[in-house]
Amino acid sequence: MEYFKVIKDISYKDAVGSGLVYSSPCRGGWNIVHYGTLVPGGHMIFVCPVSCLRGVVLTTAEMGPDAMKLLSTITVGEDNILNGDMEEELRRGTEKVIESLPVRPRMVMIFTSCIHHFLTVNYQRIYKILREEYPDIDFIDCYMDPIMRKKTPPMANLKRQILRVLKPADKKDGQVNFVGNCFPMGENCDLTNLLTENGITIYDLSTIEDYDDFHKMEQSKVNFTFHANAAWAAKDLKVRLSQGWVAMRETYDYDAIDEDMKKAAESLGLAPLSKEHIVKEREKTEAAVTALKEHIGDTPLAIDDTAVDRPLELALYLLKHGFKVESVVMESKADSEEVFEQVKKLNPELKIYSAENWTMRRAHFTHEGKLIGIGARSAYARDTGFFVDINENAGLYGYAGIRELCRLIAEAADNEQDTHAIVTKKGWHCNLKEGCII
Amino acid sequence: MKDWHVHVFTSTYTADVSGVCSAMYELGGMSVLHDPSGCNSTYTTHDEPRWYGSESLMFISGLDEMTAVMGDDSVIINDVVNAAKGLKPRFITLCGASIPHIIAFDYKGVAKLIEDKCGIPVLPVPTDGLKMYTSGVGLALREWMRRFADLNIKPEEGVINLLGVTPIDFSRKEIVDEMKASFERRGFSVNAVCAMGESFEAMEKVCRAEVNVVVSSAGLLPAKFLKAKAGIPFVVGTPVGSAVTDKLCEKIRQSAKDKESRYLYDSDRYTTRVEKPDLLIINEEVNAFSMAEAARAALSEDAKIEALFPDADEGLDEDLLVARIKEAKAVMCDPLFFPAFAGSSAKLIRMPHEGYSGRIYRGEIPVFTGDAFDIKKML
Repeated sequence: MEYFKVIKDISYKDAVGSGLVYSSPCRGGWNIVHYGTLVPGGHMIFVCPVSCLRGVVLTTAEMGPDAMKLLSTITVGEDNILNGDMEEELRRGTEKVIESLPVRPRMVMIFTSCIHHFLTVNYQRIYKILREEYPDIDFIDCYMDPIMRKKTPPMANLKRQILRVLKPADKKDGQVNFVGNCFPMGENCDLTNLLTENGITIYDLSTIEDYDDFHKMEQSKVNFTFHANAAWAAKDLKVRLSQGWVAMRETYDYDAIDEDMKKAAESLGLAPLSKEHIVKEREKTEAAVTALKEHIGDTPLAIDDTAVDRPLELALYLLKHGFKVESVVMESKADSEEVFEQVKKLNPELKIYSAENWTMRRAHFTHEGKLIGIGARSAYARDTGFFVDINENAGLYGYAGIRELCRLIAEAADNEQDTHAIVTKKGWHCNLKEGCII
Repeated sequence: MKDWHVHVFTSTYTADVSGVCSAMYELGGMSVLHDPSGCNSTYTTHDEPRWYGSESLMFISGLDEMTAVMGDDSVIINDVVNAAKGLKPRFITLCGASIPHIIAFDYKGVAKLIEDKCGIPVLPVPTDGLKMYTSGVGLALREWMRRFADLNIKPEEGVINLLGVTPIDFSRKEIVDEMKASFERRGFSVNAVCAMGESFEAMEKVCRAEVNVVVSSAGLLPAKFLKAKAGIPFVVGTPVGSAVTDKLCEKIRQSAKDKESRYLYDSDRYTTRVEKPDLLIINEEVNAFSMAEAARAALSEDAKIEALFPDADEGLDEDLLVARIKEAKAVMCDPLFFPAFAGSSAKLIRMPHEGYSGRIYRGEIPVFTGDAFDIKKML
């Protein structure tokens, strides 16, 4: 039985396996519960059968005792299905939650589930009533409906829905939004550096601590996204609020970085980065990647899609710089076919593991010698304690991001970690102040 | 108005689908959960302590909108057959969550079609994702026994089975080992522990037992099945501490003699609501009542003790939960119930339960079975 595919043997369309779905003991990225906790003053209500509630409730509980204050549940039972009283239950339950909470929430995110679609529940009617009953609360229709994942992936949907409360407003100069990030973009992001140097204020849900500040996002001129699953949110804001939108691609291609940074500057009427600046940035980055190569030599690397959005593009960059990339672990095809083919040319023996395919359950993850993983999923799948423990790009973008990634890889090469203990923790760097308790 | 659906502060017990997978985990099969997504990571993350580093098989079907709307069962049939050819499980268990339930997925029919295609026995377990884990464990064990148990074996004197044993209620192997040892010390031979740390072959000979001991309510359904099909009586109770274990063993001996099923405890005694109870115990039903027996033996015959446990269909009513915690002087329960203690002066006695808090407090779960467990030290 084959536990992985060799890239030379497959076409792009077959890069990820199909069939029964496997769940790795290793964590993936953030889920909708983690993201929902970013809203200051927000409260989540999940309305689902118990089998669906279990995961979200314990994900929350594992974020610490305070996290449980951010979530309530309404269990869908057989009686609701038979009586057809889903709407009434939703209304009654939401009212009870609001009246029982010690602090009035500013936003209530109500997550309905797969079953509501199939029973054609008219929840919008209930939200209308609730909005009239509680005019001081923003009600958001959210969805935990994985049965719709091919059409409306839950995370992309949530990133859009949370921002639906923003209303058209006068735009302020010198203010922009970063949309759809789980983690703050700091000094390891070229765009943050450019904006900060030009005195521009950045609003980002991952750093906002006050609900009124959250609403100030409606005054921003331009939205910047760094992840593909934030595109729906940015498109929605562009249409509804007439805000600009620049998609900063997660790329390791220097020309693409320059192109996106130029677009970003233009969207705000800023002078583009000078040629000298760009040359200097490239030189610094090349020096960093060369130093990394000297440091780790031919130690094989495995890359996964929990660490970076586009693992094959990172593989391509590293292969071009002489690194030995031995495998990529991925759940879906986030990279383009062009990148796939370029990687195939540079390393026809590259192994591709389908992270969620049934073949992974009994895969033997052994390897000879030292191997460095980039991401928890590759650390688990390739059985190594030498790995970069980051999630969803971790605030890295552009030249500064690549340099920081080089530093992290070098650090990982020198420090063996307890893989089991680390990779089984859900919600990397979840935002609650006390941190995850498990 | 009573409304068991709404939980403002508290968590939820795990569901029937996790119960199925947990019960079948060590028997060499492949569990397939017909579900879009989510139930798999919920089970493997929160309900299955054995997942990391083992090779037992559990997958979901990845049901999507179009497949459900079109009722296209060929997708799951082909996917299961394909995986079974590669992994060669000894048998396959087919269960599912709420969407298969409301589109009237035919578990029995699809199981038959899969079995015809791959030649591997397929057990249909029609769960719906709406009920507690105890329901799933019971349905799965009953179906397994219906298919594989040799119902013609004659019972042997002094032999018992333990029914309803999974990590969801008993967490770690040492807790189960101590439970077995406590019976063996009293002269019984434990034939099959259904189903944790047990082999397929021992389970096949489940009818060697002259009495089944239902140590969790998850074991009640297979116990009733074996009573009906093989005439084996059952005794309901968990051996928590030596006094309770002595009493339980006495009941087992009586049942071996008169072939009548019986309970360790009088449940009415602990479900009648009283003013200012000395102790409220919140846990799985059989465990809660057994702990109540242990507490009564440790405190006094007149001690006011209440038990509260989740209903298989409705879970635990949060209003009732909050009211009883407020009334009680002390509460023995999972620490994750703590948010329900607001406004109460009750003392929290920590007794984590994986069925409620998953892995969060796993390391804190005491060996609560057997002779060495002394509830008095916790009170």
